[in-house]
Amino acid sequence: MKILVADDSRVMRQIVIRTLRQAGYSHHDVVEAENGRDALEKVYAESPDLVLSDWNMPEMNGIDVLTTLRGSGSQVPFGFVTSEGSEEMRSRAAAAGALFLIAKPFTAETFSDALDPVLA
Amino acid sequence: MTADIETGAHAVAPETADVLAVTEEVWRSFLGESEPLLPGPPSDRADAVTGAVTVTGGWDGAVTVTFTPEGAAAAACAMLGLDPTDVPSPGDVADAVGELVNMVGGNVKSLMPGPSTLSLPVVAGGRVTPASEDREVVRLDLTWTGHPVTISVHTKGSR
Repeated sequence: MKILVADDSRVMRQIVIRTLRQAGYSHHDVVEAENGRDALEKVYAESPDLVLSDWNMPEMNGIDVLTTLRGSGSQVPFGFVTSEGSEEMRSRAAAAGALFLIAKPFTAETFSDALDPVLA
Repeated sequence: MTADIETGAHAVAPETADVLAVTEEVWRSFLGESEPLLPGPPSDRADAVTGAVTVTGGWDGAVTVTFTPEGAAAAACAMLGLDPTDVPSPGDVADAVGELVNMVGGNVKSLMPGPSTLSLPVVAGGRVTPASEDREVVRLDLTWTGHPVTISVHTKGSR
């Protein structure tokens, strides 16, 4: 299984990858993307089994990535990992086809709760 | 939320306790539970490192996080899982400070009326001098692993 981690912060990508390990997903391959456009290209090139994406990124934000993917017919499982966890953002994420929204800061337990139904 | 006596308008500001709770959760999650944030004396070092985000829309404001250079480097080490004696790159230090203010700011945004847009973080040397119409509505003077940390929230007067 392959997980694409998209975040413009290298520090946050490292934290997400570390948290994936702590949540028991260390046996999965991880691909990193450093902005929304990079994420879009890597979804097509790498065919990940799950996308974990920041919302607020340069080049292309996360919701535009998701909308573009769904518009092109891609149904790759997609979840947000973002500092904005308001009900408004959660509603927008769900309406665009996201499976979950993990608000930063998060714990390994939060990751397990969100990812187990997708990757188990 | 406080009422402006002269205009009757509401100057919408987050509660200090809520901003502190958000900040403590960010620190606990990503900088470790063994070294808590504690109240500290105000710091006014000229070589400070400041990260800032702005919120525009239903609520207009700015959130800043200010470190000493040593504190910013220590935060980057903690977030990257490095040894505290390691020397992170300037890019990683700026990245870490930016991500911290992004998280505090994103959570403050969630506390306030929306819909609003959160900016990407900017990080620079020195302290932020807000525009004259802005006013500081929350200020937290803290210390972490012996390094001073200041969290500040500004808004544009009353709405």
